[in-house]
Amino acid sequence: MKTVILAVAIRILIPIFIIFSVYTLFRGHNHPGGGFIGGLIGAIAFVFHTMTHGPQQTVDTFLKINLYGYPRQPNQSRSLYLMRMMRVNVWRRRKMAYHPEIKERMIRVEPIYIIATGLLLAAGSGVVGLVFGQPFMHAYWADFYIPIIGKPGTPILFDIGVYLLVIGVVLKITFVMSEE
Amino acid sequence: MNHLLIMLPLLIPLFGAILSLFSWRYVRAQQVIGILAQAFMLIASFLLLFDVNDNGIRTTQMGSWPAPFGISLVADLFSSMMVITSSIIGMAIYLFSIKGLDKARQTFGYYPVLLILQMGVSGACLTGDLFNLFVWFEVLLICCFVLIALGGTKPQLEGAIKYVTINFLASGFLLTGIGVVYGILGSLNLAELAVLVRTPVSHPALITMAGMFFLIAFGIKAAIFPLFFWLPASYHTPPIAISAFIAGMLTKVGMYALIRLFTLVFVTDQELTIPLFTVLAGFTMVIGVFGAASQNDFRKILSFHIVSQIGYMLMGLALFTPLAIAGSVYFIIHNILVKTNLFLISGVVAHNRGTFALKKLGGVYLQHPFLSVLFFISAFSLAGIPPFSGFWGKFMLAKAGFEIDSFVIVLVSLAVSLITIFSMTKIWNEVFWKNKPETDPLDDVVTAREKKDNRLLHLPVLFLVMFILFIGVYAEPVVSMAQLAAEQLLNSELYINAVLKK
Repeated sequence: MKTVILAVAIRILIPIFIIFSVYTLFRGHNHPGGGFIGGLIGAIAFVFHTMTHGPQQTVDTFLKINLYGYPRQPNQSRSLYLMRMMRVNVWRRRKMAYHPEIKERMIRVEPIYIIATGLLLAAGSGVVGLVFGQPFMHAYWADFYIPIIGKPGTPILFDIGVYLLVIGVVLKITFVMSEE
Repeated sequence: MNHLLIMLPLLIPLFGAILSLFSWRYVRAQQVIGILAQAFMLIASFLLLFDVNDNGIRTTQMGSWPAPFGISLVADLFSSMMVITSSIIGMAIYLFSIKGLDKARQTFGYYPVLLILQMGVSGACLTGDLFNLFVWFEVLLICCFVLIALGGTKPQLEGAIKYVTINFLASGFLLTGIGVVYGILGSLNLAELAVLVRTPVSHPALITMAGMFFLIAFGIKAAIFPLFFWLPASYHTPPIAISAFIAGMLTKVGMYALIRLFTLVFVTDQELTIPLFTVLAGFTMVIGVFGAASQNDFRKILSFHIVSQIGYMLMGLALFTPLAIAGSVYFIIHNILVKTNLFLISGVVAHNRGTFALKKLGGVYLQHPFLSVLFFISAFSLAGIPPFSGFWGKFMLAKAGFEIDSFVIVLVSLAVSLITIFSMTKIWNEVFWKNKPETDPLDDVVTAREKKDNRLLHLPVLFLVMFILFIGVYAEPVVSMAQLAAEQLLNSELYINAVLKK
């Protein structure tokens, strides 16, 4: 389904969806919202992108990290080399991509790893209580207050885990369905 | 420490599954994680059993929300015995699947799903909340669906669809029942429900009606007489490692929930439930065993025997004396071990011969005498021949039946035992004893690698036979533990006090 209207519209819509999903995620503790619905809203962005550009393009745009680099020179110290590599990969990305000597290494973020990370965060937030001799999922809250997020605590961690899990599952389903 | 011990049977498989997901592409790593998770699970469940045995019922509240409001997890003797049995057979299934399951299935997430399934079993056994129980049964259903359909061959998909459709129906009934209970009593915590139904309520008949919803739901899950058709239609389709776990464990979890609910909550209308259970138990036993007698496939015979054995467990609930409930508890533990083991043995035979059809099998005794001995022990345990484990379960049930003069059901159960021996003898004759039918001699060539695989496949069978022999020959501690568990089940004061007065 390749329409120009949708393709243009989603360039504006994707950031809105993602920001709104994060907002929903963080307001979810005391108001309607939370990790599950936030994750679904966030996943809409990716689903729309897949609908217009196809799964391969979505992976290339959002889920692929390109690392640039060249082999270490014989007389170059290791720390200097690492700093160069960092500079290449962080500050001068665009320019270095076309540099003739630069080799490219690609890291693809599979949806299954997003799912696993989400599960790990959610389950791990429950274990915090067990470590201190309290029941599973006992909530611990910090004393300070962060403007948008509110009071950080273990339930937030759980919600973030659910958020990632839902995004991962929807992405996986979308990719599998659109490949058929 | 208390909280940790109850949570461990849930957390170990969960974190095992998460780690397996991270190593999605590396089957070898998943196998290592799997063996570690199973070993820890076994240790943790033994610790839980010892703890419960020493200190009585242990509870924990999720998220520190106090009892009637938050989700309680309750470990009494019955549930911890279930957990321990599930971790024993989990270990056996795991050992079997390294060599007994094809590589393609292993790479598509077999290990994480198996671990989640084990978590579901522990959760269903440990939870003290009605809705939570439903959620755990959904976890079981989804995992079973994935496992039965894994690989996607045609018979598998057919079996999976039958399985899921009928179990969705069961979930619908379960949810309706939960809704009715919540509507009448306003609570979902099992301990508080137990208190509420024992105080005079305005509509005692409505509670019985809700109980019937639960009976239908768990009746489908446990394959009780008019609702068992899905079981023989789906259990023989997936590879043996998968069907052994599902066949061994899942119906018994349904039975566990039935026993838990009908000893704790739905005890108000026993003039109705006890005769009903007696009739259902009798029919389940008889129909199951006749179904088995008419089959000619190793796995189908065993599948029908699951139905027949469920009847015995229900019979304990129908007699409703301490000894009978103890008999049911013991019988469930015994049956999980034996049934899984028989399925695994059929898997070993099929791994060598490539078929489950009795007609094409034969001469296994000559080729694998040791396996034949293992089968002999398991089959005689299932039939209930004295030194083995099935005898003690049936003995307790029959004795309990004679004590309250329910002669008919006892006679039926003894007759069914006889036909069970007939079925087991049929398998013995056809698979192990008779001469091997004429086949291509090239099939019989055994390479060194196959020999090594075979030895690995014998390991889980041996592992389970050890436990079967233990609970049969040295039955005293297990029987007394089952009696204690029955006492805990029938004195619901203990359960209520443990959950609410803390």
